[in-house]
Amino acid sequence: MKTYIAHRLGIGVLTLFGMSIVIFLLLRLAPGDIVEALFSAGGYVNPEERVAILRELGLDKPLPAQYAEWMGQVFRGDLGKSYRYDVPAWEVIRPLVPVTLELAILSMVVAVALGVPTGVVSAVRQDTGLDYALRVVSLAGLSMPSFWLGMVIILGLVAWLGWIPPVTYVSPWENFWLHLVQFMLPALAVGYRSSALIMRITRSSVLEVLREDYVRTARAKGQTDRVVIWRHALKNAILPVITVIGIEFAFLIGGLVVTETVFNLPGVARFLVQAILWRDFPIVQNLVLFTAVIVISVNLAVDMLYGVLDPRVRYGS
Amino acid sequence: MRTSRRVAGAAALAAVALVLLAGPALAQKSGGVINVMLREDLSQGFAIHESPTISVVWPASPCLNNLVFFDPAKPVESLDTIVGELAEKWSWQDGYRNLVFFLRKGVKWHDGQPFTSKDVKHTFDVVRAAPDAPAKLRLNPRKDWYANIEAIEAPDPHTVVFRLKRPQPSLLLMLASGYSPVYAAHVNPADYRAKCVGTGPFKLKEWKKGEYVEYVKNPDYFVPGRPYLDGLKYIMIVERGTRTAALQSGQLDVAMPGETSKAAAEQLKNAVPQLVVTPVATSVTDNIIMNAKKPPFDNPKVRLAVSYAIDRRALIAAVHQGAGVPGAAMMPRPYGVWGLAEKDLATLPGYGKPADMKARAKKLLAEVGYGPDKPLRVEMATRAIAIYVDMASFVINELKQVGIEATLKQVETAQWHPMATRGDYQIGANLTGLGVDDPDANFYENYACGSPRNYSLYCNEHVMKLFEQQSVELDPKKRLTMVVNIQKKLEEDAARPILDMRLDYFTHWPHVKGLVPHHNIYNFGRMQNVWRDR
Repeated sequence: MKTYIAHRLGIGVLTLFGMSIVIFLLLRLAPGDIVEALFSAGGYVNPEERVAILRELGLDKPLPAQYAEWMGQVFRGDLGKSYRYDVPAWEVIRPLVPVTLELAILSMVVAVALGVPTGVVSAVRQDTGLDYALRVVSLAGLSMPSFWLGMVIILGLVAWLGWIPPVTYVSPWENFWLHLVQFMLPALAVGYRSSALIMRITRSSVLEVLREDYVRTARAKGQTDRVVIWRHALKNAILPVITVIGIEFAFLIGGLVVTETVFNLPGVARFLVQAILWRDFPIVQNLVLFTAVIVISVNLAVDMLYGVLDPRVRYGS
Repeated sequence: MRTSRRVAGAAALAAVALVLLAGPALAQKSGGVINVMLREDLSQGFAIHESPTISVVWPASPCLNNLVFFDPAKPVESLDTIVGELAEKWSWQDGYRNLVFFLRKGVKWHDGQPFTSKDVKHTFDVVRAAPDAPAKLRLNPRKDWYANIEAIEAPDPHTVVFRLKRPQPSLLLMLASGYSPVYAAHVNPADYRAKCVGTGPFKLKEWKKGEYVEYVKNPDYFVPGRPYLDGLKYIMIVERGTRTAALQSGQLDVAMPGETSKAAAEQLKNAVPQLVVTPVATSVTDNIIMNAKKPPFDNPKVRLAVSYAIDRRALIAAVHQGAGVPGAAMMPRPYGVWGLAEKDLATLPGYGKPADMKARAKKLLAEVGYGPDKPLRVEMATRAIAIYVDMASFVINELKQVGIEATLKQVETAQWHPMATRGDYQIGANLTGLGVDDPDANFYENYACGSPRNYSLYCNEHVMKLFEQQSVELDPKKRLTMVVNIQKKLEEDAARPILDMRLDYFTHWPHVKGLVPHHNIYNFGRMQNVWRDR
């Protein structure tokens, strides 16, 4: 087990190294740089000033030197200085991380709370009216982009109630209930879409398991439906669902751009887009690297969960 | 004698301004905080001198002061509406060659340091990039505004003299713009990108990047009894729908200048009838830039054909739902004082009967060899933002009707101005904001040979002389006539055909009092007279 984890961590570090090169090169291959963004905001370009700023920001150095400088900073725990804000990048990034993590976790809680039970019920009541209704609801969830749903929620609330959730971040220590309201609505918008996917995977997985011999044996032994479904069938059907949850969570970390924008939440994804538009390399590089760390960690956690949930899964010694 | 009369006049004006600023204090209430809309984060922090965007001027203005400013209570801006801020009075001397400011005494920076004439000299030496300037700005978009300053002297702590190379009455207007605050000499100009040490009515409490800018009242502000409010919070909301919803729900008290379209204002008014909506000019024009250095637009007839082809009034109706006004280079009347009269406009390309105008365009194109059998094919570049693309799409349709087949090329924001400055385009649909409704500021920035903001690369030595002549003219009536003629000439040359000036439906809640939107989005953000009636 330890060897397996060490092996996976080693692969993770290699992946991060590869990612760092890809991020670094892609950013520099894209047309434009911070100086062009600054000048565009200024409405003009002065070639002399351009050269001076490139030098000031170290962007006149060869690419390998720039990359080495960034990696050196990362290893020292220094993320460099934001080109746009002229302050340490960590100072800008630090408050964003908890917001996105909280929104992603809450969204997944909503998705699992809605998706797993409805998937099970849909499988157990296969081809009944309830099954059809739940499948229509899930199909709707898959069809509606979360940002569209978010916008509808905002516009509906303001039209009917003349109220929308707070547009500035409310910390849980300041006002817990308002904080919860602020996060629950976007979590619902995002979680609904994910729940639809989880529901469909759960349904098909449970349907498959319900046809297994050991389920028939359990029923023959006189077990109640509840025990058969929730203890035997679901436990055996949950692995594909966990996989989907892991993938969805990893996707959410970087994929909440529009939801964060619509609900005006100061998270990683919204800020990342702004930083890309400004070619603020220190912010973009480190935020993408952070996202990669989360994705790798979640994948590892999901793989570890397989062994916990299914005793048949054993990792190489 | 004449000078002393001017001093007396200016002093009287300043006294009136102070009375206006101090105002009838009975009705106003002190206290409270208002939440103000911000559409994006501050691109250059509080460094107004390094920025040309309302997204910096609007949220940074409450922290700073100018020498002179446009009277907050008067929506139309002109020389007659300028009032003193850090300057108590001022005087033109030596036939408009020297501009002398007598500074207010006892003013303190937010960090407690005294404000003196050194701060003024420091600021404008840095902005004009004087050879002995104590610092250099990273970006300096308005250096040319101050090109006529020979030297700035600070003979004593409360007097500053701007010595000019030649007379230039416009200097006072440019100094009154929201783009011309005074920085503290003891603070590095670069530091204004992250913090704000000003003399203004509000002190910076916190700038949470990407979220908000928060101010608290400056208890030591030099205008007695001001500001009324305890604080201001500029809340950044990127998504337009959410911004409107936040205003409608009352989470925002005040919109951002230039951000409320006619349709949005109507929607808001329907939902919340008590909201106060004031239609004002934005000082932002829609215009067409054509690269005069490259074929086919190096041919004046082709440029003129484009200008004739575009029906200005149809554009205003279709693209802005009527929320625009036709005009030339300067702000149209009554929003500004230099604009062309209706009778002058009627003679310009694009303002006559649409069918006649299009026939003229076709004739011009035929003269240079283009016609139904040989259409002119061009690439129309524009910024990939809805307000640009909408206008460009309309223009493409108009051009098609005269035989110009244009394909749309959307350019990412970060690339737009660098591309235009390099002249790396054929024809483009563009927006231009005027920091101040002043002929010098506008002509030299947007039409002068060699100006980096002259995207069309139009260069006419005769017109340059006309610019110079109007700039030194001291008689306001004669100068107005000259400015009118220059505008007509620029349109007849299709130097940068102006299509219209957009209107803004500035919106705020009725409990916000004392905030008078100007016909220029850059110059009414000080907030010192604003109060909250609840």
